[in-house]
Amino acid sequence: MIENRPWLTFASHATLLMGIALVALPVWMALVASTHPASAFGAGHIPLWFGDAGAETWGTVLFEKAGNGVDTPVWFMMLNSLIMALGITFGKIAISLLSAYAIVFFRFPFRNLCFWIIFMTLMLPVEVRIVPTYEVVANLDLLNSYTGLTLPLIASATATFLFRQCFLSIPGELVEAARMDGAGPWRFFFDILLPLSRTNIAALFVILFIYGWNQYLWPLLITTDDAYYTLVMSIKRMLSVTDGDIAWNQIMATTLLAMLPPVAVVIGMQKLFVKGLVDSEK
Amino acid sequence: MTDVILEKVGKTYPNGYHAIPSVDLSIEEGEFIVLVGPSGCGKSTLLRMVAGLESISTGELRIRGERMNEKEPAERDIAMVFQNYALYPHMSVYDNMAYGLKNRGMAKNLIEEKVSDVAAMLGLTELLQRKPRQLSGGQRQRVAMGRAMVRDPKVFLFDEPLSNLDAKLRVQMRVEIRQLQRKLGTTTLYVTHDQVEAMTLADRLVVLNKGKAEQIGTPMDLYNKPATPFVAAFIGSPSMNLIDANLTEQGIKISEALTLPLSHQHRGGIVWGIRPEHLEVSDEHNADFALRILAVESLGAETLIHGKVETELGNGDPMVVRLSGPHLPDVNSLMWLTAPVLHWHLFDAKTQQRLRD
Ligand SMILES: Nc1ncnc2c1ncn2[C@@H]1O[C@H](COP(=O)(O)OP(=O)(O)OP(=O)(O)O)[C@@H](O)[C@H]1O
Ligand SMILES: [Mg+2]
Repeated sequence: MIENRPWLTFASHATLLMGIALVALPVWMALVASTHPASAFGAGHIPLWFGDAGAETWGTVLFEKAGNGVDTPVWFMMLNSLIMALGITFGKIAISLLSAYAIVFFRFPFRNLCFWIIFMTLMLPVEVRIVPTYEVVANLDLLNSYTGLTLPLIASATATFLFRQCFLSIPGELVEAARMDGAGPWRFFFDILLPLSRTNIAALFVILFIYGWNQYLWPLLITTDDAYYTLVMSIKRMLSVTDGDIAWNQIMATTLLAMLPPVAVVIGMQKLFVKGLVDSEK
Repeated sequence: MTDVILEKVGKTYPNGYHAIPSVDLSIEEGEFIVLVGPSGCGKSTLLRMVAGLESISTGELRIRGERMNEKEPAERDIAMVFQNYALYPHMSVYDNMAYGLKNRGMAKNLIEEKVSDVAAMLGLTELLQRKPRQLSGGQRQRVAMGRAMVRDPKVFLFDEPLSNLDAKLRVQMRVEIRQLQRKLGTTTLYVTHDQVEAMTLADRLVVLNKGKAEQIGTPMDLYNKPATPFVAAFIGSPSMNLIDANLTEQGIKISEALTLPLSHQHRGGIVWGIRPEHLEVSDEHNADFALRILAVESLGAETLIHGKVETELGNGDPMVVRLSGPHLPDVNSLMWLTAPVLHWHLFDAKTQQRLRD
């Protein structure tokens, strides 16, 4: 539908711009607040333009300590978050690729049952099974470790289901051609299946990375050692200082920093991500 | 030397469907065998059993004397061209052709040599770096053939490889496949439901009907002496006129009012057949019967006339006549025909077998 009505163009652009402003405003305020001294925000009026304390706040937060009772610098927590997020992402992708591969391409007893059992775990996210999972992890002596942070989260019914759909759409003749060409199960997996699900993997990577990065409850529960604190959970801890004022400027800077890696991943993988969601070249 | 032997090969699918009761076939080295039959008759099933993509339920398959039933497809030294080509979409033409050789652990420079040889033979040299989606249908078809050829297999298998091409390209590729096969001398098993393709390509044809080999023979054998009405109807276009009749002392009694004289010791129900191209136009006095014309199809080089056998008792069995050159008889008029005895085909109605002349 192509129409040439100037006022309509104007109205729709105005609406879109308003939408952008609405979404961007909190980010803008956070950015502005991080450049004012700690007292400015608490005093009741909200500044709308940059102050002059920016460099100092950001420097402290990033390299010395995040403040508000959290003594580790943001870069260190960022590293922890990154390890956890990447661990979860790669773990999830690897394990669901393998399980989807088994379910789609191999005939074994109770194949469908296996699939439905995996599917049913959709109803059991971490929050539901948190107590028993905690106990298992504690018994395995995995509290305060990267393994403990990632391992319980990497089983994924959603990703398995997605890869299953992707594999099912691969024509049977292609599988047979590979068999005739002497590709065994591993060769087939690496030479044919992986390249063909490249875009799906990329799309999932983005989604899962953000999921992993934003994990809050689980790390909060199983880490008691500063060395394993992740960024997202630390923000919450920064808010719950009991003595004295909350240093909003530091919190805002930390929040903004916490947003950066997911944004980077989304921007970096945008092309593949959209391709993975939209088309399937098979 | 006999290259491929199918001995009482049968297939029952896991769901209990008995697709192929039992097929016996021995293929000579370098022979081009075409499996032909209507949709669902089990052509692909038979081919896939030879390929190893489908297990063999009963009987034995031997290639060069060696039992193949339990061997993996890759171990049978065969190559297959699929209907939809089944090219690896993410690999270049070169990699598509080289993949099977790589998996066999062949040396890189040897692979390169083989692929470029075959590519040159098929006119693909310019396209080696392209992806399959950047190729036309005919080019993809060639790549699929190239992928089979580089392996230098004992047997080529084709499953309706031309059915996705347009009519003109199909003819061209048909000729090309035949030439290549002659040149390479590789034993070939080719599946099609197109009888023209079957007739032009085959050294020998296997006509399948509901999983049974109705007749095996050269195209001319099948054309001249079809073993059953099914084969008679399947081979030749337009297909043979087949009419249920009775063999009596007077001859072939086609209807109450029409008997064609013939002395034959057989008695009882038969199927009488004559090909459209063997019917001859004649005049009222010498004619065997008359045809009431219902439709005329003029194709320039030939004319097909559809009608019904006209007798005193009214219209009888439908019949097609094929005349060379243009003819324009009026629809609904009568046409007098003779059917030379030489070209008659008689089949027992009960056993469906050809009667000895
Ligand atoms: N996996 C299967 N399980 C059960 N029955 C099957 C299976 N595959 C094919 N059949 C049946 O076996 C019969 C032969 O199938 P086949 O694919 O060999 O036919 P075809 O001669 O190749 O037909 P077309 O010309 O349509 O390709 C068909 O009736 C089909 O329904
Ligand atoms: Mg078929």
